[in-house]
Amino acid sequence: MKPIVAALLVALAGLSAASLALGDVTIPADELVLAIVNPAAAAQDTLMIVLELRLPRALLALLVGMALAVAGTIAQAVMRNPLAEPGILGINAGAALAAMLLIVALPGASPALLPWASFAGAGAMAAAIYALSWRGGTSSLRIILIGIGLSSLAGAATTLLTAFGEIRDVQRAMIWLAGSVYDADWRKVRLLALWLSGPLVLAWLGARELDLVRFDDDTARGLGQRVDLLRALTILLCTLISGAAVAAAGLIGFVGLIAPHLARRLVGPAHSRLMPVAALTGGALVMAADLLGRTVIAPAQLPAGLVTALIGAPFLGYLLWGRRHVPA
Amino acid sequence: MSRPDSNDRATLAAERLSLAYGRVSIVDSLDLIVPDRAFTALVGPNGSGKSTILRALAGLLAPRDGTILLDGRSIARLPAKEMARRVGVLSQGPGAPEGLTVLDLVRQGRYPHRSLFGRWSQADEDACARALWLTGMDALCERPLDSLSGGQRQRAWITMALAQETDILLLDEPTTFLDLAHQIEVMELIAALVGDRGKTVVAVLHDLNQAARYADHMVLLKAGRVAAAGRPDEVMTVESIDEVFGVTACIMSDPVTGTPMCIPLTRGRPATHSRGDALLREGNESGHSRSLRLQPQSCLGRNPDGKTEVKPAAEKQT
Repeated sequence: MKPIVAALLVALAGLSAASLALGDVTIPADELVLAIVNPAAAAQDTLMIVLELRLPRALLALLVGMALAVAGTIAQAVMRNPLAEPGILGINAGAALAAMLLIVALPGASPALLPWASFAGAGAMAAAIYALSWRGGTSSLRIILIGIGLSSLAGAATTLLTAFGEIRDVQRAMIWLAGSVYDADWRKVRLLALWLSGPLVLAWLGARELDLVRFDDDTARGLGQRVDLLRALTILLCTLISGAAVAAAGLIGFVGLIAPHLARRLVGPAHSRLMPVAALTGGALVMAADLLGRTVIAPAQLPAGLVTALIGAPFLGYLLWGRRHVPA
Repeated sequence: MSRPDSNDRATLAAERLSLAYGRVSIVDSLDLIVPDRAFTALVGPNGSGKSTILRALAGLLAPRDGTILLDGRSIARLPAKEMARRVGVLSQGPGAPEGLTVLDLVRQGRYPHRSLFGRWSQADEDACARALWLTGMDALCERPLDSLSGGQRQRAWITMALAQETDILLLDEPTTFLDLAHQIEVMELIAALVGDRGKTVVAVLHDLNQAARYADHMVLLKAGRVAAAGRPDEVMTVESIDEVFGVTACIMSDPVTGTPMCIPLTRGRPATHSRGDALLREGNESGHSRSLRLQPQSCLGRNPDGKTEVKPAAEKQT
């Protein structure tokens, strides 16, 4: 456990350093250290690039990755499905629809409203899915099926709306939908950190509940767990966490799916250890994706969401291949 | 229905219990008393409501009507965790997430004893150690569940239920899918839990003879109602087997334990005793079936006092 966390932290530190140093302007190591340790002595433009542009961007990537990974860990436990991710709860589709609605229906609206609208969309969608799957109780499978159904419905509505939008607005929405941390600033970082701190700690404290809810309903209930209540609370928590991540960075797919799996390989299935390791893994993934996206074909930038999809799709295939002998 | 002697310890009972899945009624107005510190076997044909009743007793299925009483109080108002500290349940073919070890599973049994953010205590550790020792799973506790045989996995689940440290244990078909040796092992374990540890156990069982051999109290169910309940030798009669299963059977006394044993003669035909006798005679005449030839006098049906004290016919012939 300890060496793995230490290794992850070292990897994160290395990634952070690379994120701060690399880009259109490469900052040499000594200047980078100077800018962080003794800002007064560093060159003004170096300071500007490192502290105002790259550091908030790296931190935002870290926070978004952590949030997506924790939300994915929760979703996989509560849905009892290793292929579940927050997208199953309709969070992505709801956020996308709300953002598109805002852009097309209110062309004059300030772009600052976009995150709030998408968060509201995510929340409304999760609530609708939970309510529709309630039938004197809930079941994981019903939530998954209704989630997939409503998500594709919302996806269709989003596509339909693009036909009516101003072409420039639609393009702006598409860029946002692709998922990126390019417009990171300190205000965004602070807001997201503040917003996430409560739910992330709660998720970690609830690790034992997640350990039990992964069993079947009868086993969990037989041990005295209030399964329906827990499902409602965790879905709310999941929405708070990943809805905020989507609002901050748009749709960054696959991190919520992959990070928990990688973490499970590293530390096993107990959530008290799985949760923090998944969070670090997710943070590192999004940071790496953003770094790759903005350096590989510079000066053009690939959105982080695109890079995670490029990595994630083969990983999903690998997961399915590994489970090909597992029934159902 | 015969009432077993009751004393003043925790008791579980059902009163006018009606159960349904959706609109399909399974059980209608059932009264049941689970005798304390005894092993009760729920037996009956498929679809007779055994598992449904067990789930209701465990509080997993809300009654449509009637109540489940624990110490005379309805369990509907009992907090879920408190219920789980009093009554443990092992459902049929429970599912576990991938990658768990036996110890991970057993530790879940302590869930109802811990507060929301409470730490793992020495009492929790001791309870797990005791449970592992009782079932002999201590040697396997680091093994992943996926790597165990069916019998070992079932024992691992029973260990989890034991770590829960409840007075009452409800088991849904604990011996299904196990080979003979493991079946006996599980039944012996249950008998020891009742005999030595004073637990109350209710188990849904399919094997009538095993049920009769190990259980103190037997409840024979048919279509959601109690056809017979009482000591196994009171419950297992030619008439009750005929009524509930539609099978003509001989009831003999188990040569080892003296408990009743049911030996079916025909299946799926209009079961009359004369038909059974006719079959037996045929068996005698053609001489191709030794066991059939030996049995006729041991059929309880022709025994005037209805007792099971019938010597195996084999002894008479030799």
